[in-house]
Parts: sequence; structure tokens; C-alpha cells
Amino acid sequence: MSSHPFQYDVLVVGAGHAGYEAALAAARMGMRTGLLTMDRQAIGRMSCNPSIGGMAKSHIVCELDALGGELARNADFTGIQFRTLNTRKGPAVQAHRLQSEKAAFPTRVQAVIAGQSNIHIIEATAGNLHLEHGKLKGIITEDGSTILSRTVVIATGTFLGGKIHIGDRTIEGGRLGEMGAYQLSQTFQQLGFRMGRLKTGTPPRLHRESIDYHKTDRQPGVEPPPVFSRAAKRDLALFHVEQSGFRDRDERPPASPGPAMFHVEHLGTPLKPWLPGDRQIECYLTHTTEKTHEIIEANLARSAMYGGMIEGTGVRYCPSIEDKIVKFRDKPGHHVFIEPEGRDCIEIYPNGTSNSLPEEVQVEMIRSIPGLERAVFLKPGYAIEYDYLDPTQLYHSLESKVIEYLFMAGQINGTTGYEEAAGQGFIAGVNAAMKLRGQTPLLIDRHEGYLGVLIDDLVTKGTDEPYRMFTSRAEHRLILRQDNAPFRLLEKARAIGILTEAELSEIDHMQLRIGREIQRLKTTYENGNSLAQILRRPGMAYRGLPNRDGSLTATEIEQIEIDLKYEGYIEREHTQINKSSQLDRVRIPAQLDYDEITALRYESREKLKRILPENLGQASRISGVNPSDIAILSVWIKRLKG
Amino acid sequence: MTAPVPAPDATTDTIAAIATALGEAGVSVIRISGPQAFDIADRVFACKGEPPSQRSAGTFVFGHVVEGQTTIDQALCLIMRAPHSYTGENVVELQGHGGHQCAKRILRCCLEAGARLAQPGEFTQRSFLNGRMDLVQAEAVLDLIHARSARAAAAAMDQLDGQLSVQLHQLYDRLIATAADIEATLDFPEDELPETVMPALIERLQESRAQCEALLDTWDEGHLLRDGAVVVISGKPNVGKSTLLNGLLGRDRAIVSDTPGTTRDTIEEDLVIDGIPIRLIDTAGLRITDCEIEQIGIARTRNQMARADLHIHLIDASDPSDTEEVDRLLTNQSTKLLVIANKVDLIEASEKPPAEFSISATQDTDIKRVKRYISKKLSAQIDLHSRPHATISERHRDLLHKADSEIREVLSMLSTSSEDLVPLASSRMRDVLDYLGQVTGRTYHDELLNNIFSRFCIGK
Repeated sequence: MSSHPFQYDVLVVGAGHAGYEAALAAARMGMRTGLLTMDRQAIGRMSCNPSIGGMAKSHIVCELDALGGELARNADFTGIQFRTLNTRKGPAVQAHRLQSEKAAFPTRVQAVIAGQSNIHIIEATAGNLHLEHGKLKGIITEDGSTILSRTVVIATGTFLGGKIHIGDRTIEGGRLGEMGAYQLSQTFQQLGFRMGRLKTGTPPRLHRESIDYHKTDRQPGVEPPPVFSRAAKRDLALFHVEQSGFRDRDERPPASPGPAMFHVEHLGTPLKPWLPGDRQIECYLTHTTEKTHEIIEANLARSAMYGGMIEGTGVRYCPSIEDKIVKFRDKPGHHVFIEPEGRDCIEIYPNGTSNSLPEEVQVEMIRSIPGLERAVFLKPGYAIEYDYLDPTQLYHSLESKVIEYLFMAGQINGTTGYEEAAGQGFIAGVNAAMKLRGQTPLLIDRHEGYLGVLIDDLVTKGTDEPYRMFTSRAEHRLILRQDNAPFRLLEKARAIGILTEAELSEIDHMQLRIGREIQRLKTTYENGNSLAQILRRPGMAYRGLPNRDGSLTATEIEQIEIDLKYEGYIEREHTQINKSSQLDRVRIPAQLDYDEITALRYESREKLKRILPENLGQASRISGVNPSDIAILSVWIKRLKG
Repeated sequence: MTAPVPAPDATTDTIAAIATALGEAGVSVIRISGPQAFDIADRVFACKGEPPSQRSAGTFVFGHVVEGQTTIDQALCLIMRAPHSYTGENVVELQGHGGHQCAKRILRCCLEAGARLAQPGEFTQRSFLNGRMDLVQAEAVLDLIHARSARAAAAAMDQLDGQLSVQLHQLYDRLIATAADIEATLDFPEDELPETVMPALIERLQESRAQCEALLDTWDEGHLLRDGAVVVISGKPNVGKSTLLNGLLGRDRAIVSDTPGTTRDTIEEDLVIDGIPIRLIDTAGLRITDCEIEQIGIARTRNQMARADLHIHLIDASDPSDTEEVDRLLTNQSTKLLVIANKVDLIEASEKPPAEFSISATQDTDIKRVKRYISKKLSAQIDLHSRPHATISERHRDLLHKADSEIREVLSMLSTSSEDLVPLASSRMRDVLDYLGQVTGRTYHDELLNNIFSRFCIGK
């Protein structure tokens, strides 16, 4: 290895949420990893709301934890408020959402990287791909130095061609006060990538002391804190043991020996600043008024978004306040959440007021909201426009179809959100490593995880607006729950090899106990009814059963309850999966020449040629390709296979 | 996965078949469709002036079908160019003189010139694959071919025009919108959605059910028009069933003799009465017998009676003991039963047999009375005065039934206050859409396509 001409196996460009997940995954898989960033202090920074999770996004966070990603732990250990959304709508759509301490989050990421062998941080701006005879050999920085690497992961976020808009003022930059990457954008253009512009925005930041909290509603966190990661669950359980001397409702401590006070002793470090859920802070709820709406309406022409300054498409589902006012004129008020960005942080994030109005209009607008009449601005809200690359130019492994050994993750693929970015970063980092090892890439099917849905949607359908996850994007919502992520992804985690043997066998063991208990409940009778039947009754919980197993953990009990109560529906979904995966099993040969298939409609043929689906199932999901096209393709494939 | 119908090289090669019925006729048509249709026409068809391939679409030319130096037939050659043809491909039709031998020779020339013999339904399948019609319309083509009465043909034409498709697409679109709203209630915080979302979507689901049921209601008529009404004639041996059958058909189909048990197997014949296609079934006489063959026949009779749209039970007016079976039938038979006393010519006018009416099956006037009665009875199920309209088929009925009962489930789930049922309801909505998509072909199913196109005859 010492004579190896490359400095790195995997070079990650950008150190946002996609970037650090990619770098950590690759390093943990034994790859010599370079992490290229403009500013090492900015690694893991939260550009927008310091909040992780929420509907469908929390599923991604839990999946990352199940596979060996960092996001869940990082959020849990820096969390200052924990909530669960959609509690009344059943386990399939339930979602945790937490707020992190804005400063602690990146500090922890940096500490994790510092403690991780195989990662080297390089402070520079990528300018060019280093190509030899069309083969990727690394990166050339803007200042002209060459970094040789066998694979490259691009995770530039909003920095690629970034342009900030505050009203009619336009600033070049990747984040307020930080430079963007412009040469790299040109590089991609010259290489012939199909590119587009997207837009996202962020609200102003207000001074904590300038808010009149009496005029708002309190929004406390939930106790005990609903955490994402198994590590945080374990710590909470240990803490309970220490505090109360008995273990009641949570995880069994790991089998490893070691002093029981281990975790508590280590609190206060950047890795574990406090016990998750300790000293939760409160958020506050207020709302826009008629006056807010009048101010916005009167100044729409001066908004970057509506004044025509921005060409990129905005996030439909996380709309700016201008968007909400224009599209929902009938609604008298919209929620505004007052979220402290940290315990000791003076910044307040007024969630729901993202906009691109001129600063003086923003001040007027914000001050028309109850409780914010005397709000002091620390930073204005702004919109940012950036380049993205059409993600249909990627394989499911997130490797580029255009340039081998080049991977892409995060907003460059058209997504929005930390969770979506981190998920792709992790997959790209893992697959860069898999490729170098000569192993088959990590692919997650649509029925195996939201990560699978995310990537399949991107590479199959592409996107022309910032893509965010929804549970409705998944066909099999009842199977893809956040609570069962460790179980459904166990075999994938094993193949990746980041989780330790002990962690894997713990999940194995839990799964075994769950299966055994379900079997017992189905075959043990009480007054003529099986315990399983009794448990299925509405409102019935495991702890209400006669003759129950007292040694089960809360996690195990939760799985048993859901598996039995939703058994019929879960089976239905499995049947549907079997039916639909028939098409997924029909591979489309690489040598198929779509131009020869004259019966295909022109539009379908062009789309198929561009996206080059790997199987009939994927082809059938391309928008604009209709059932008759699939029938024609199916005929051709059978013929090619003789 | 089951193999789909298309031949291995479907959609790339050129197919040919005789499109007209077998037998003697004035004209027979050989249809050629595919990329080489014009090349093949040039090779087999000789005419003055430009060859077929150089002629413009929508024209025809007189000439000869030739095999080498030999002229096989005089013919008209019709030119249609993609996509403006039945299949959406280049199509040539050769209209030769009738006669099956002649048509077969023309077809053979085409095949030798490079065409492949079309499989059943392949022309229509290509039309579907090329987006010329949806599945429901393709099925209408089949109905049109098989139409046994003018009304059935008119209904099929209505369906081919897209009348049924339009309704189904409307229903589908309405349900897609509803499904999207249900999803929205799961993916967005409540306060971001208008409060009226739930009541509005429940209302839309109810409308969809009503539409579903209205479509399902067209089945009775559709079934009668497509499959014909099944009219079963039963009765004791030698009561005159075969005589009645022959009378209704207007020809001697069944052997009539004085020997009881002459008809051992059921005899099925088609006829049309007042525009209603009818399948008339003469059954083996019902009696206790040791003869194994006759026993099988009798078992079959009971079967036929069960699925009849109209059941005519004949009794012998001259035999007062012949009432057992009537009593039995009357207790468990419905409005579909008609008891007719036959051989009324053998009894005194004053005696009144226990039947709705009495006939002598050998009398033409009595046969006419029976026909009128059959027509009246069956037309209760078809409104013959309404304009013929598209009706759903067995396949549609099956899928619509499934969709309808899923919608009912969804409605009951959404009508409760337990919000944890909403994700389950949304899962069921996806099934609803899948079922409806299968009706028009908006959902891709290999088997489905297989199923639908294999029922076509060659040439269509």
C-alpha cells in the first residue's frame, strides 16, 4: 500500500451533513479518507433550523443509525428538546423530532472526526476534477494543487454556484458570510452534466431577550425523551439503573463489562455534553396576523422570490412565508414556532418565516407577529440559489453514470434537508468503499427503507424542485417504520460492517426473543382466546396481558405489539411487495438499444435512453413511461434472452 | 412471471392474416401490419404506376396479387401509414375476390414475402401497445366481433368510442385525488391543512362508490348482450321439450321421438328474439333412471337450471300426475321460472293445468306466444327503449367489485374517530387504485394483458 500513487481511497468534497457521513462511513470501512472543506470550523454546521427529524425524515435518521451512520447519535447527544409527532396516527407515520444545540452539533461532529482514524481534513476549495484520459484521479483545488484519490464524493450542498438573495440584494456565497464554489460548477458544465438551479431559504435570526414570551404558547418537550439512536437509548437506560437502582422500561445495558458509571462519568465532553433529554428547553408558538399578510402582499414585488430575481425552483413543501400568503390567501394566520438555537445561545429561530424580502420589510413583517413586536434582528432571512446535477445521471449506488469512481450526495442531487443529505452521504461513502473493495454496492430496495425510496426516486424520476421525504413516497409504509429500522436493515448493516459484532448480535438476539414471544402469544390460551388475540383488542397493551414475559425490553415489547396488532396489514404489504417485485426481477440488458424499438413512443424512448433503468420495475416508475411501453420492453427483453 | 401474449418479436416484425370470415364471400381481406408492410405489398402486388410503397396514405389502387410470374387474384390495395391506422403501424389491406382458397393463397404470398402469421388478437394488441386505444376499448373490439344482436353491437361501439373509458378514467382520477388527500393528512401537521379535508374526502369517496355501483349496475345488461340470456327448457321425458326447441329455432335441431329419454345430453342453440341474443338449452328429461349416461345428463340439467336467466319448465297437460317437479321448483325457484303446460290439444278445454299458460308446441301461434313471453321477461333486465350504451364486462365487474368493497372499508375506517386507522385506509386506497388501473390498463400487469388479448381471434 505504501507505493500506492494515491493519497486517498476516498476524497469527500464538502463537510456538511452528506460530507461528514460519507467521510465517516468510508473511514470506518478502513478507507484512507480525505475530507475537503473550505473551513474546518464549519464542518457539520446547521445552515438552517437546528432541528433533526420530523415526519418521514425521522425514518431516515433511524435507518442511518441502524446501518452505522452518525446523524442519529449526533442529534441525540446534542438535543435540547425532544418530541414525537403524529402520535395519534399509529406507528407507521409516527416521527421523532428534536432540536439540537446549534453550537454543540458541529462541535460534536468535529470531535467524532478527530477521534476517527483514517480521516484527514484538507482546507481548500475544489475547482476541478482531476481527469487523465477521462479517468478520475482526484481533485484539483482552486489554488491549483492536485489531490490524488481513487474515488471522489461530491457533497457541495448550497455552495455549488451559490447565490444569496435578500430582497433585491444579491450576494455570492454558499451560506451567509461564506464563499461558494464557482469553478467547480463550471467544471461540471464543461463535462456535459445536465444541471439546474434550485432555491431554498431560511428565516431571520432574532435576539432571545427581545421576545415577549407572554404572548406565545409554551411548547414543552416530551419526557422521557424520544431519542433516535440505540446508543442514546442505552445511555438513558444506564442512567436509570444508576438513578433508581432498577431497570424498568428501557434497553438492557450492553453485555460488555466495565464500570456502570462509565457514561455518566463521561458527560460534559464534546461527544456527550449532557445526558440526552436532560434539562430540555421550551419552544413557543405564535402566529402571523392580517397585518403580517398585508405587509408581505404590499412588498411581494421586492421579494427575491416573487420579484423575479431567482430562477431556481423553491421547496414546495417547506414554503417561504411569501409562498404561504400567496397560495393560502384564505388562511387568517400561519404558525410561527419560536425556537431557541441553544441553551446558551442568544439566537432565536422563528420557524415558519423563511423569506427573501428586503431586510427593512422583514423587520416590519416580523414585528407584526404577537410576541415579536420589539424583536431585534441578528441576521436577516435570505433565499439561496444553487446548482444541482440531474440525479438521473447516477446509478442507485450514487456513482455517476458519466464518470466512473465519482459519487454525488446531498443537495447536489436535488434534495433538501439534513436527513436526506446525510442518508445519501452515508450510502455514497459506503459504496465508494465497496467499489474499491470490489464488492457489490449497498443497494436498498423501496420496500426495505426510506433510503431506498429516496435514492430510487432521485435516480429514476429526477426532480425539478428540492426533494424532501414524505411517508407517502413509500409504497409500503406499514413495513417501513422508524421503530423497526434496526431489524429490517440488519442484513445490510452486517454487509457494510460498520456496526460491531456485539451490536449486530444484540439486534439478532432481540429479534429472536421477539419472534419467540410472538409464537408463544399465538399458542398460549386464556379462556379460549390466544394471548395474541387478546393483545389485538383495541386499547390493549402487552403489559395488560396475563402470563407475560417480564424480561422483555421496551423495544422488544413495542415490536411485539405492532407486529401482532398490524399483522393483517403487514402481510398484505408483503403480498404486494412480492407482486410488484416481479417486475424488479426482470433485468434490462445493458446492450438493449432503445432506438431499435420503434414501437416505443418517442417521449418514452428518450426518457429510457437517458435514465437507462436497471430493471423493468424501475422503468415502470419513470414518469411518462406507461404500461404499454413496459409491455413492449418486456417483449424485447424476452427476445434478447432468447 | 407468465409469458405475455406478444410473440417474441412482436412490435418489430410485420404480421399478416386473413381478416374476413372463413367460407364463401364476395370479398376477402388480407391485412398486413408492421414496418415492412409496404415492402411486402410491393413484392406481392402488381399495379400500374407507382408501387404501393410510393403511394400516399388513405389511397387505394387496383392491381393483381402475383406469385412470381403467376397471377393469383385481382385485388384492391389500401394504403394506411403509421400512426394513422388501426394498429398505429404501416398497414396494407389487400381485398381479393372471396373464397377461402384464394385468400389463403394471397396470405401465403405475404408470408413468403417476409410477413409472419398474426396471432389471435395481435392487430388489436398492437393498437393497444401503440397507444391507439386503451384496454377497455380493445375489449370493445372483441365485443363488437362477437356481437350477436344489433343492440349488443351498438353497446360495443359505444365502448369503443371511449364512453366507458371516460367514466372509468373519471372515477380513477377522482380516487387518485382522494388518495392524495388521505396521504396529505398523514404527511402534514393538521394545522397546515384546511379543516374540511376529511369531510370533503369522505364525500368524494361516497360519490365514487355511487359511481362504482352505477357502473356495476350496467353488468346485467352487458352480460345479457355479451353472453346472451340463458334460457333452459326442462321437464319430464317426452313432455315435448325438443319440439318446443325446434319450434323456437324454426328448424329441426333436436331429434323428436315418442321414446322417453331421446335427448340425453343438453343441446345448446343460439337465437335472437327482439334484439336479445339467447342461448337456448334443451335439457335431458328429468326422471329416475339406471342408465349412467342419462344420469349424467340429468345432473347437467340441474346445473343448467341453476344458471338460467329464464327457466321454462314444461309439463304434460294430459298427465295430471306431472306436478311433483313443479311443486319442488316453485318452492325454491324465483321469478325466473315459467311453467308451461304442453299438449294442451290433448285435453278438454275445461280442464286447467297448473301452469301460467298452456300451449301446443306444434302450433306456430303458440310458439309465437312463448317468444313474446321470453322477450317480455328478459327485457325487464334490459331497458330496450334506452339508447344502447357501454356496459361493463365480467372482468370489469370483478375488479370494480373489489375496488368497491375496498372503498367501503376505507369509508368505515375514516368515519371512526381513531386516527390510527388512517394509515391503514391509505394502504387500502392504493389497492383501490390498483384494481381500477387494471380495468383500463393504467396499471401494468403482464398476466392481465395476456388474459385480455388471448381471447381475440386471428385477424383482429
